[in-house]
Amino acid sequence: MIRQLRKYADKLQLDGSALPQQTAILAQDDRLLSFGAEALLPLGQAVIERLNVVSLVVAAPPLPLLEILLRRLAEDAQTLIPQDTETRTFLHDIPLVRKEEFSIENPQRIVELLGQRKGVLVEEVGILATGSVTVEQAYINYSSVYHALFVKLLLMLLVDAPPTAIELDLLQPLLKQLQQPIPLRLDDLYRGPLLGKTAILEAIDQVGKRTVELKLVDSFFGNISCRLAEQVFISQSAASLDALPGCIDLVPNDNSSTAGITASSELIAHRAIFAQTAASVILHGHPKFTVIFSLLCEETACKISDCWKDCDKIRYLGTVPVVAGEVGAGGIAKNVPPVIGDGIAVVYGHGVFATGNDDFRQPLATMITLENWCRREYLHRLTNRK
Amino acid sequence: MNGWHGRLLNVDLTHRRTWPETLPAEWLQTYLGGRGLGIRLMRDYYQLDPYSAEIPLIFAVGPLCGTPAPTAARLSVVSRSPLTATIYDCSAGGRFAWRLKAAGFDAVKIVGQSSAPVVLKITPQGGELLPAEKLWGSTVGATVAQLDSQGSVAAIGPAGENRVRFANIMMGEGNSVGRGGLGAVMGAKQLKALLVAGNLKVEITDRERFDEARRDILRLFKASPVIYGDLGIAEYGTPALVDLMTQRRMAPTENFRKTIFAAADQYSGPAIRRQYQPKNHGCYGCPIQCKKSTQDGTPLPEYETVNHFGALNGISDLRSIINSNNLCNQLGMDTITAAASLSAWGEIRGRFPRAEEVGPLLEKIALRSGKGDLLAEGAQRLSRQLGKPGLSMSVKGLELPAYDPRGAYGMALAYCTSNRGGCHLRAYPISHEILRKPVPTDRFDFAGKARIIKISEDCNAAIDSLVACKFSFFGASLEEYAELLTATTGIEYSPQKLKEIGERIYLTERFYNLQNGFSAADDQLPSRFFNEAGSSGDGIEVPPIDRLRFDEELQKYYRIRGLDEQGFFVADNWLEQQP
Repeated sequence: MIRQLRKYADKLQLDGSALPQQTAILAQDDRLLSFGAEALLPLGQAVIERLNVVSLVVAAPPLPLLEILLRRLAEDAQTLIPQDTETRTFLHDIPLVRKEEFSIENPQRIVELLGQRKGVLVEEVGILATGSVTVEQAYINYSSVYHALFVKLLLMLLVDAPPTAIELDLLQPLLKQLQQPIPLRLDDLYRGPLLGKTAILEAIDQVGKRTVELKLVDSFFGNISCRLAEQVFISQSAASLDALPGCIDLVPNDNSSTAGITASSELIAHRAIFAQTAASVILHGHPKFTVIFSLLCEETACKISDCWKDCDKIRYLGTVPVVAGEVGAGGIAKNVPPVIGDGIAVVYGHGVFATGNDDFRQPLATMITLENWCRREYLHRLTNRK
Repeated sequence: MNGWHGRLLNVDLTHRRTWPETLPAEWLQTYLGGRGLGIRLMRDYYQLDPYSAEIPLIFAVGPLCGTPAPTAARLSVVSRSPLTATIYDCSAGGRFAWRLKAAGFDAVKIVGQSSAPVVLKITPQGGELLPAEKLWGSTVGATVAQLDSQGSVAAIGPAGENRVRFANIMMGEGNSVGRGGLGAVMGAKQLKALLVAGNLKVEITDRERFDEARRDILRLFKASPVIYGDLGIAEYGTPALVDLMTQRRMAPTENFRKTIFAAADQYSGPAIRRQYQPKNHGCYGCPIQCKKSTQDGTPLPEYETVNHFGALNGISDLRSIINSNNLCNQLGMDTITAAASLSAWGEIRGRFPRAEEVGPLLEKIALRSGKGDLLAEGAQRLSRQLGKPGLSMSVKGLELPAYDPRGAYGMALAYCTSNRGGCHLRAYPISHEILRKPVPTDRFDFAGKARIIKISEDCNAAIDSLVACKFSFFGASLEEYAELLTATTGIEYSPQKLKEIGERIYLTERFYNLQNGFSAADDQLPSRFFNEAGSSGDGIEVPPIDRLRFDEELQKYYRIRGLDEQGFFVADNWLEQQP
């Protein structure tokens, strides 16, 4: 199990969601195991020992996102309502704990809230997230809370009060990053058409790893598929895109086997896209700035409040359509296929579906291009806000 | 105090008395209902023989029953099992639980033995015993047909009357209180059926909070491929698992000698759909509707049943399997134990029953006639009597269901730590080891499984006390159900608090079992699983389970539970300290 702690501490660094010197992971087997920042372990231990869980991540995001957010929220705000739909679906709201509400000696407030929710935001600490089954689960929940925090704050900076000089200063490392586009490196990817099982599995593995490496997806979300004749190869539910070997289901179109019951919850959407377009591959990711821009709506007289599931309009990011729709059987399969003819569509507050006719170069390229456009546009709008 | 009526109906069949009693609020808040409340109500009786007159048979609903909480129109039946001798609870859906709650009772506690067959009728006015001589000997279907114009029915069939050790109690809608032989306890009391009718409502304290939690749950159901996916249980019922278990090479075959059955595609979910174009059914108010029936209304079998009347006995004939399922339902018998007993008997005598022999054998079992009398004892007793105790594929006398432990090591451990014997539902590790919910775990690795099993047992004890369906938790979690409970009762519950309640219930059950003579020696799998490999192939190795590693993880489990090396409680007075 200690190997697991190291593995997910490393992943938090690699995906850029936690500071290396401020990351601790703890797990309860028949004894307590821990790995990471010594300074965070006393709080982590005090919390995990009071909870009936397997694992706990205590870590600080690499940017002072939480500090900026707390300054922008009302002093009595107790929760963060995620804007992105996946976090909202799986985590609902995320409790906030102020520094005066806990100490290492008395972490009861954190314990109480982690007894109710999978992750909490803690002032001057960062994010605490639990896993009730595995170490990976605490990593996933941490990653989801981080994603929600990132999207929420960066959206606020665009639509609420303009950023102050101090805020812009604190966010400088991020703004610098945005000046550098995500590299459009495709030549080493498998070239299509993908006609056999071996080629398809290798191509899926390759593009999955690249999608994670380029931070176009958070934690274990996102999915990938490839059509071959009357069947679909698709990543399994809760599979990390950078660890797909052994996690691809083969699903026949005629449902002559139900072994693919473990396939991604988006199987329904992938099948509908294949049925209504000429695409042979689909890549689904959650690029952060595309998600943020999908949430920007200029409608003023609209009466819909649950836009992420009820909005019936097609909006556009440049030329890319944005539609609403819930995860799984909840609407994506109905709303995306009619608008994805040009190879890419965005789901409101959720992510991108991109298709290709031969291999994964095309969907990866369109996804990167859109995210780069959103990054540039974000930088431009933020720095020009008055 | 919303969510509970705070009322128990006492029934003494010996003296033909019924009277209501107020339940202590502390019991309801700390044991919730269903399994937990039943276990608490058994505290003064758990050492009694399952067939003694004094042993209670308890029917208990939960605080969410009667509300629109998804999948919560369920109850638990609790007593001591004549099959396993453990404390035993069984959960069932249908309409009966909802009607019982609507009659104004959280639980019914039945003691005594009637001198003649009776039906217990329950209304908001109380209980009434009706003569049932004419119903004695009837099938479940015939009994329900006689009574259901007056309300919802739970009945036993001939198997319960004849004390078949795995007789079940059938709800009128076809749901079963399926395992452990509680139908035989009912039969020993000469209680043919319960009939409930009522129209009382359950008030919800905070309707807005309740509705929000309900919406969250339904959204999670939609996001779950196991529930609402194209290949999920809403589409195919639990036989959706046939193809998956075949692919994973962990479908018990020929009394667990093999782990794959080449002809399983004859009774898979798609095969059933092709041949029968099933209709959907479900428990009251359930949005999943995982039950399937033929166009004429004949219930179609669940995954466990198709595998055990199929692969476990080497049978591929779907018509025969459906007939076996139907016969068990009508005669009132657990399909898993019935099929597993036939399979153990088949291996002992060197020939598994042919498809056409199964039906007549099931009838003999229910009537305890001829060979049926021995088979009616269950696999463990019959194997011992035939001098082959090692061929009973059971733990604590409960026959294993359709997940081979060599293919999922958490399942292997959980079969052994389950308080009611070899059951897949206590910790339900198939959820993460096979179905990847909430996250996947390595099925061929014991690492971390002891802690996972412990937490899952606690969670599921709480779920069985709410009482909600396990299938909900392929999508939702205790987080959302704690919200529903808080909104209903007005008392703050969190997942952590529910797990603490579940832990108390689990430990109480273990305490009862240890007092009744169980020990660590009973927390073991049959030796076959440590000595014989499963059916490897297609790149999947299914070796025997490493006994040393298994024992090591079991010891970890005891330590995590706070038990000693023999699995005993450190404090003898543990039970006295509980509410």
